[in-house]
Amino acid sequence: MSVQILLLVGLVLFSVAAVLLKDLIKAAICLAAASLVLGILFFRMGAPYAGAFEISVVAGLITVLFMLTIALTKTGGDVAESKLATVAFPLFFILFLVVDVIVTKNLVQKIVALPAAPEAGAFGEVLWKQRTLDLVGQVCIIFAGVLAVLALFRKRSKDNDD
Amino acid sequence: MTSTWVPYLIVAAGLLFAGIYCLLAMRNLIKLFIGVEIISKSVSLIIVATGFAKKNILVAQSLAVTFIVVEVSLVATALAIIINIYRHTKSLDIRKLSRLKG
Repeated sequence: MSVQILLLVGLVLFSVAAVLLKDLIKAAICLAAASLVLGILFFRMGAPYAGAFEISVVAGLITVLFMLTIALTKTGGDVAESKLATVAFPLFFILFLVVDVIVTKNLVQKIVALPAAPEAGAFGEVLWKQRTLDLVGQVCIIFAGVLAVLALFRKRSKDNDD
Repeated sequence: MTSTWVPYLIVAAGLLFAGIYCLLAMRNLIKLFIGVEIISKSVSLIIVATGFAKKNILVAQSLAVTFIVVEVSLVATALAIIINIYRHTKSLDIRKLSRLKG
């Protein structure tokens, strides 16, 4: 359990660093590190497939996409952030965490667990047999994403021709 | 059961707060999107942690995998939109978008 707590603290620290760091590349690397910690947490909770997806896709692919975007927008990347917002964030965050700990500890006792059928079989059976509709949705969303990216970049090439 | 669940709930709420604060306070478009990513981490953590605490990890895991796939599609589309905005306005400042009219 103590390792779990350490990983959770690491997750929070990396995420806060991603919000606070001015350098976008460092912020993206902190985000990738947070994903890595989250993936390890998933492995420790007994969800290896979710952990593998989290590490390979979110920590890997999404970080590459972020880096690519930062590199493509490098010349206009310096946006002056509000100093007050950056300075006030740690104070607000600590205040929120204190309230969060108090409220969650009291509220969680009152949550009634819904009856759930005992799970049987392997992950593949649950994913393919119980959540089939989710898979269809995933395929549709991937196609929609591909079409959206294609449409966005095709529009740009038309502008160039004009 | 609840004692294992509480730290995850607290951390997920904290991450949600950090993401929403980032969305409200920051001005750089990529920074705003980092806020969205932090919120999505909070959501996937809470899905898997709830499955872990309630002994329903397989369904939670398949939901988390679905969520990650949706997230990747969202990221690709949103970053393409950010690059297009940058090409039009030559800046990543969110305040310049409010001047776009018509």
